[in-house]
Amino acid sequence: MDLERLLPVRQSVTSVMDVVKVRRQGLEMALELGFPTPEATKIAVVISELGRNIVLYTKGGLINLIAYTGERKGIKIIAQDQGPGIDNVEQVLEGGYTSSNGMGLGISGSRRIMDEFEVKSVAGVGTKITGVKWLR
Amino acid sequence: METSTIQKLENLLLVSVPRDLMDDEVLRLRRQVVREIRKYHSRWVMLDFSAVDICDSFFGRFIQSTADMVGLMGADVIVSGLQDAVVETMIELGMTLENIRAVLDLDDALALSRTVQRTEMYTQGMKALNGHDIDWDNGWDALDMDSLHRDTHAIAEV
Repeated sequence: MDLERLLPVRQSVTSVMDVVKVRRQGLEMALELGFPTPEATKIAVVISELGRNIVLYTKGGLINLIAYTGERKGIKIIAQDQGPGIDNVEQVLEGGYTSSNGMGLGISGSRRIMDEFEVKSVAGVGTKITGVKWLR
Repeated sequence: METSTIQKLENLLLVSVPRDLMDDEVLRLRRQVVREIRKYHSRWVMLDFSAVDICDSFFGRFIQSTADMVGLMGADVIVSGLQDAVVETMIELGMTLENIRAVLDLDDALALSRTVQRTEMYTQGMKALNGHDIDWDNGWDALDMDSLHRDTHAIAEV
């Protein structure tokens, strides 16, 4: 497998259909990088959670997936939107908090799954969530 | 986009859950399940997840809300066919589901539903038996066997 050919994915997200599409692209990218199926599944679920948040709380956003194909292999997920922002990031990262009828697991669960996870959010400007999972 | 199918088997409703469930499909599927429970007097709803390879918290919410609705209809949900990777992801994500039984496959689901049915019939039978004022001193002669037969027959038809 020529990993150099793993192109980054750039998907605009405005509907669940977009989420389904981008999480499947993420699953395939992770499998091609050599992640075992359970790890690739977790990466796909993180993409799904971040995508669903965009659909649920904003008018639309963007999800980028970048493959690290060098010596250290991994996958980077960047989800950004111009929504209202998360005004209690700490609480959301802790888990169990939800402003919709969700389980409140999306962000906190995603942080647990990823090796690196960062939430930048500014009220009225938007949110950018970056996560990296390394292949071990 | 795959559509879900619902089939009746004994006192089970078999629901094959599609791989990528859209929001409107969730609503439709849940309503259909509730309708079919009423139609067939189903005791169990088996959600077959063998086609599902990505299960996020939205999906978890679907399982839980379906189980809650099914519970109000007097039935129970059995989840079956969860893939290894899906199970691992659900746990790591922190998903917990309440009042839901899980089995490996359809064979196990059938075995479970039959066992529970037998237990429930036995319990009902004992209740019916106790309802008949038995005079144990005079043995079985005192028991109105005709009405007992009628009752147990009625139970067997339930």
